[in-house]
Amino acid sequence: MSRALELAEEALRAAEGDEAEALVHAERSGVARFAGSVVHQPTLVDNAVVRLRVVRDGKVGWAATNRADGLSELARRAAEAAEAARPDPDFPGLAPPAEYDQDLGYDEETASLGGEDQARLASAAIEAAPDFELYGYFTTGVTELALASTTGLRADQAVTDAVCICLAAAEGASGWGEQTSSSVSGVDWTAAPREAAETAARTRGAGELEAGTYRAVLGPYAVAELLRWFSYDSLGAQGFLEERSYFCGRIGEPVFDPKVSLDDDALDPWNLRKAFDFEGTPKQCVRLIEKGVIRDVVWDRKTAARAGEGRVSTGHAPPDAWRFYGPMPTALNLHGGQASSAEALAEAVGDGIYVTRLHYLSVVHPKEGVLTGMTRDGTFRIRGGKLAEPLVNLRFTVSMADVLDEVPALSRELRLVNLNDLYEERYPYAALVPGLATARFTITGTGSGPGL
Amino acid sequence: MRALCEAAVDAALGSGASYADARTVSLRRQYVVTKNGQVDDLSDAESEGVGVRVLVDGAWGFAGEGRLDEAGARDAALRAAAFARAAPGRHGVSLAPLEPQRGEYRTPAERDPFAVPLSEKIDLCLRAEEGMRQPQINVTSAMVRSQRERKVFVSSDGSLLEQELVGCGGGIDAYASAEGISQIRSYPSQHSGASGQGGWEFVERLGLEREAPRVGEQAVALLRADECPAGRATVVLDAEQTVMQVHESVGHPTELDRIYGTEAAYAGTSFLKPGDLGSLRYGSELMSVTADSTTAGGLGTFGFDDEGVPAAREPVVEVGVLRGFLTSRETAARIGAGAGGSMRADGWSRMPLVRMTNLHLEPGEGSFDDLLTEVDEGLYMETNKSWSIDDKRLNFQFGTQIAWEIKRGKLGRMLRDATYTGVTPVFWGSLDAVAGPEAWRLYGLTNCGKGQPGQEAHVSHGAAPTRFRDVEVGVGK
Repeated sequence: MSRALELAEEALRAAEGDEAEALVHAERSGVARFAGSVVHQPTLVDNAVVRLRVVRDGKVGWAATNRADGLSELARRAAEAAEAARPDPDFPGLAPPAEYDQDLGYDEETASLGGEDQARLASAAIEAAPDFELYGYFTTGVTELALASTTGLRADQAVTDAVCICLAAAEGASGWGEQTSSSVSGVDWTAAPREAAETAARTRGAGELEAGTYRAVLGPYAVAELLRWFSYDSLGAQGFLEERSYFCGRIGEPVFDPKVSLDDDALDPWNLRKAFDFEGTPKQCVRLIEKGVIRDVVWDRKTAARAGEGRVSTGHAPPDAWRFYGPMPTALNLHGGQASSAEALAEAVGDGIYVTRLHYLSVVHPKEGVLTGMTRDGTFRIRGGKLAEPLVNLRFTVSMADVLDEVPALSRELRLVNLNDLYEERYPYAALVPGLATARFTITGTGSGPGL
Repeated sequence: MRALCEAAVDAALGSGASYADARTVSLRRQYVVTKNGQVDDLSDAESEGVGVRVLVDGAWGFAGEGRLDEAGARDAALRAAAFARAAPGRHGVSLAPLEPQRGEYRTPAERDPFAVPLSEKIDLCLRAEEGMRQPQINVTSAMVRSQRERKVFVSSDGSLLEQELVGCGGGIDAYASAEGISQIRSYPSQHSGASGQGGWEFVERLGLEREAPRVGEQAVALLRADECPAGRATVVLDAEQTVMQVHESVGHPTELDRIYGTEAAYAGTSFLKPGDLGSLRYGSELMSVTADSTTAGGLGTFGFDDEGVPAAREPVVEVGVLRGFLTSRETAARIGAGAGGSMRADGWSRMPLVRMTNLHLEPGEGSFDDLLTEVDEGLYMETNKSWSIDDKRLNFQFGTQIAWEIKRGKLGRMLRDATYTGVTPVFWGSLDAVAGPEAWRLYGLTNCGKGQPGQEAHVSHGAAPTRFRDVEVGVGK
């Protein structure tokens, strides 16, 4: 039994209530953040948070602490919260015991890395792009989740992740590259800086572009970011039940291009795998869009109970930090197509723009799936089916219905794109996506040029 | 805690650090959230630990440790020092001088937010929700939050500081939905309501129950409102949207670490350069912005920042000209101006970064109605809904929850889905009125993101309603 599960059981024994559930979320990680090719913000974290959820007479409250010697006080505060609450008619009860494949996504070599190793690997990344200053970070970490509850549920999983993100930049030039894996051996530390530098070298002398709707190639980083922001209101059950989701009233309808199929699959061996969610429900693969037809959203136990009609959790109860969003995808997988390369995607577009990466997105109209944001670190014109001159950063305001309505091509190759910005407790997650060509991407303004 | 911090600093110096500081943090956050008449979230989370920052051969190291004992603190110091020694690059960090600081600071509070019974908080939320209910409202929610942060700071420069920061806040939201249209109205803002430092009296003064019927009525009315038209227009912004404009297009670009590129890969850089100080025209002469970590009730108020620099009030923009940056001891030394004072960390497990504290647009003259009077045709926009700005903080686009036409100095028909866009110095250059002190309001935001690993800062901004000429509205229509 892991130390995390022991701690969860200890917290459960301290609980006072009809039902109780203890969750341990532990992290041991290091981030070597660099700017101007110098590590300037190193961060090493060693922490374990215990969350205790208590049910009394149908009333639910919870408390959390990272004090290993504070479990009796934790139990008191959780009980006080439950006592003060009102009976919750939507509370579905705690999750029952289940079987899990616990040997997913853990790599001993990655788990053994310490601060000096992280600094050494950051140094290797920096040395791989000598022609530009590098900005970004290198990180590895171990994240453990353990659950114990009065239903008899016991769940325990440790996962590792390794991420290198690189911005290669100079005055008037910038490019982006990243590598993400569940193991340090799955990451080529020189590939991300080289990719960033190769893109940056092509961005000098960027020009402006008239506002308008263009055909476009969205590189994998841009696709992952668009899907992440689309998911906040549209791909989870809370937005669906509260009628903010673009999917409302469209389940079963052929809305998007038939080439578009999107799953959330934390069991996919190419993604960052998880066995269960933050309630202990086993992760399921959820088909969100199948050949352009809207199929479903992701659910946790509470939203499933609220929906009724035989709904069950799909294993998407979120970490505490995201709880106000409700259940969310954590392993999006957009199926690839037939295009053999980014050049082939550009050929499918003919005349348009190429977008490497997006910045600072915001949801303008959730139910219409309208997002805004900026392109950055590699925006180019496509002319005659080939990448042409560089462009300044462009403001886009797009409906996801438009972006996915006509998709001339998707790349065959998929990239695993990190989506974890490392806020709060570490919970690695990523999207597995291809590059995508679209017939409609609306540019509504121009911003600054690339680079510093 | 003092002994623990001293042990960490001693261990760091013993392993070769030229500078070290240790900061213990004990943080408690409580949320009460109700939705559709039910308790949706009742949580009480605490976190404590020590963060040790060291400078070895001009390179930073930082380690956070959840064990609050001397062994844990020493271990964190040694890990931080080992990391700093291994860090690649050409290091040469130096710090602006700081006299040893000794002191204590406690947020003045009449009623401890944690002493307010949970049942009282739940009842307040449920009553406020009840007040928003209308036909076609499909979701109502109310939230109140409480926070206490105790910090002890010890540095090898001889500083010893103890602080206790107490705050609370609340807000309400109503979602209306019909015939494929979904609209939201919030009070005081869509960003977790509003928060401030102080006792529970802050939440009581918000008047959540008082505002609830208006919020519900407006959410429903928006379902029948016309869409905001596209074009160029004179725009009047309420104080809350003005605050968002200040935050994104003045606060972030004046953070000196961004200007030096240390956020380039994530939050971005800035259109400002170090040499712009004292000469760059940021906006019209009506624009004066002040950074003030002494503001009563501000979320960015403290006695000392997270590297021990005392709180201060400093100009950032004066009558439209750039006069100051937000700095740390490191960036202040690098630019040769200022003494830091804006370094803040999100808890014990994160390294301090240059962050906004309380950043205010200074008030002008007259009332909100006076701003409207001089508008023949225009738009009034209220309550931020969407926000986005480019990596150099130039091109921005904002949306608001609600807007009204202005016709011959009076508010006319209600409009939904209002957006506007612009470029920072051009937009602030078009500022032609700021309402006076009576209309000036302080808003606290709890979700300002920056850094890798990510950190959320609590910041406040004060502003009065503002008027801008020739603004592009109705983006993408």
